[in-house]
Amino acid sequence: MTNTVFWQTIADYNRMTWPVQAVLVLAGFFLTWRLYRRPTPGVKRAMKYYLALLNGWIAVGYYLVACDARPYNEVMALFWGVMAAVWVYDDVVGYTTFERTRRHDLFAVILCLMPFVYPLFSVLRGLHFPMMTSPVMPCSVALYTIGLLLAFSKRVNLFVILFLCHWSLIGLSKVYFFGIPEDLLLAGALVPALYLFFKEYIDLNFRSDTKPDRRVMRLLLAVMCAALGIFFLATIWRQIAILV
Amino acid sequence: MKTQAELKAIAQFVAEYATRLMGSGVHTSRVVRNTKRLGEALGVRVIVSAFQRVVNFSVFDDESGEVCSEVVDIPPLPISFELNAELSALSWEAYDRHLSLDEIVARYREIIARPRIDPIFTLIVVGLANASFCRLFGGDWFAMSIVFTATLLGFFLKQGMQSRGFNHYVVFIASSFVASMYASVALTFDTTSDIAIATSVLFLIPGVPLINGVIDIVEGHVLNGIARLTSALMLIVCIAIGLSATLMIVKSGLL
Repeated sequence: MTNTVFWQTIADYNRMTWPVQAVLVLAGFFLTWRLYRRPTPGVKRAMKYYLALLNGWIAVGYYLVACDARPYNEVMALFWGVMAAVWVYDDVVGYTTFERTRRHDLFAVILCLMPFVYPLFSVLRGLHFPMMTSPVMPCSVALYTIGLLLAFSKRVNLFVILFLCHWSLIGLSKVYFFGIPEDLLLAGALVPALYLFFKEYIDLNFRSDTKPDRRVMRLLLAVMCAALGIFFLATIWRQIAILV
Repeated sequence: MKTQAELKAIAQFVAEYATRLMGSGVHTSRVVRNTKRLGEALGVRVIVSAFQRVVNFSVFDDESGEVCSEVVDIPPLPISFELNAELSALSWEAYDRHLSLDEIVARYREIIARPRIDPIFTLIVVGLANASFCRLFGGDWFAMSIVFTATLLGFFLKQGMQSRGFNHYVVFIASSFVASMYASVALTFDTTSDIAIATSVLFLIPGVPLINGVIDIVEGHVLNGIARLTSALMLIVCIAIGLSATLMIVKSGLL
């Protein structure tokens, strides 16, 4: 796939679907606000179905329809379709509780607002609508999901986190292969988010009859995240060097 | 001279000891050797007849001519080389220091009560190991990182399904499919995608049953060896099914 095809499919997507994107953004804004202010069981459930809808939209609206010209678009559609199914399954089994921990509030809010930084970043780079990033695209949705789960991280589905980790890596590679430095936002946000998620998961699920002990587990996590951070920093450095 | 009650207590402990060894991934002749050594330390003769799922024991007291037999199921346990080594060492300790049954049982309980490896630790280490396999087979750094995260997803699914008691074969098919499917994202980039997809499922290869199967056959436990190899072959077929499903979806063919 060439750079031109990549950006042309994004332009087609934005041109065809901006009203739907606007509705999805408004719905997301409303539900997030309700989740922060009045988190009733109904709102929590609605948020899970909203996330299922959002992932389903990325699978069908973005990859299957708008990105039809890209090779292997069905594979990407399958990924996001699976994530939509995971959110429906999550609601059926009642796993994610969407209970606020208030421990990472500021960072979580910044991440939730990141999807709006994507188009700003594009504008700063001199891109124009429709050939620019928008808030309802795979990486911005991934960032929003990370922010949301971080704000309500009392019990989160680790499969979703691992998928988002996988996706961040793809986002980082897109910086290289398709010249989309906006995705550095996702890669940059992932490292601290991954550390916080795993740290909470280890704290919550740690059992005294397992080894290594909690201290070593935290150290291992820190080393892993530091290695990832160095890898991402090297990528960013290389990108800056290209721009300069 | 042992009473019938003493013989029964020895037989029950020996049965527990041996089935734990068998369930934790020890090949048959080692189980037989360790169990016989343990029996010798306790002054009895142990005859073992081991199968894939069940072990028969007969404990003889040659002085009194008393015999006690036990038939025990082999429990499915996580493979642990550390546990196997420690249990083997216990049989030598019992033999060398002439420990009593109570002392051996106490040591045994202490060994099996030791902490197990944390599942998250296993998850991360397996991811790193699989990424290293990718490198060994010629994958580049990007393919390695894709294999790392794809393995995390596949292995996490495997852990989750196993803890919920899903059928072993279904777990392998699903994990293989998920790991290879998420690794197939490499196809969209200019990288060693074939190596990434092929190595993403290597964490599922049943290495221990394969090695134990061969050792069992070589050492004369042919039935057990063939049973282990057949079981391992079934798992490999399951991995192939999952991988084939991915290839059929992403490449519309197996080649």
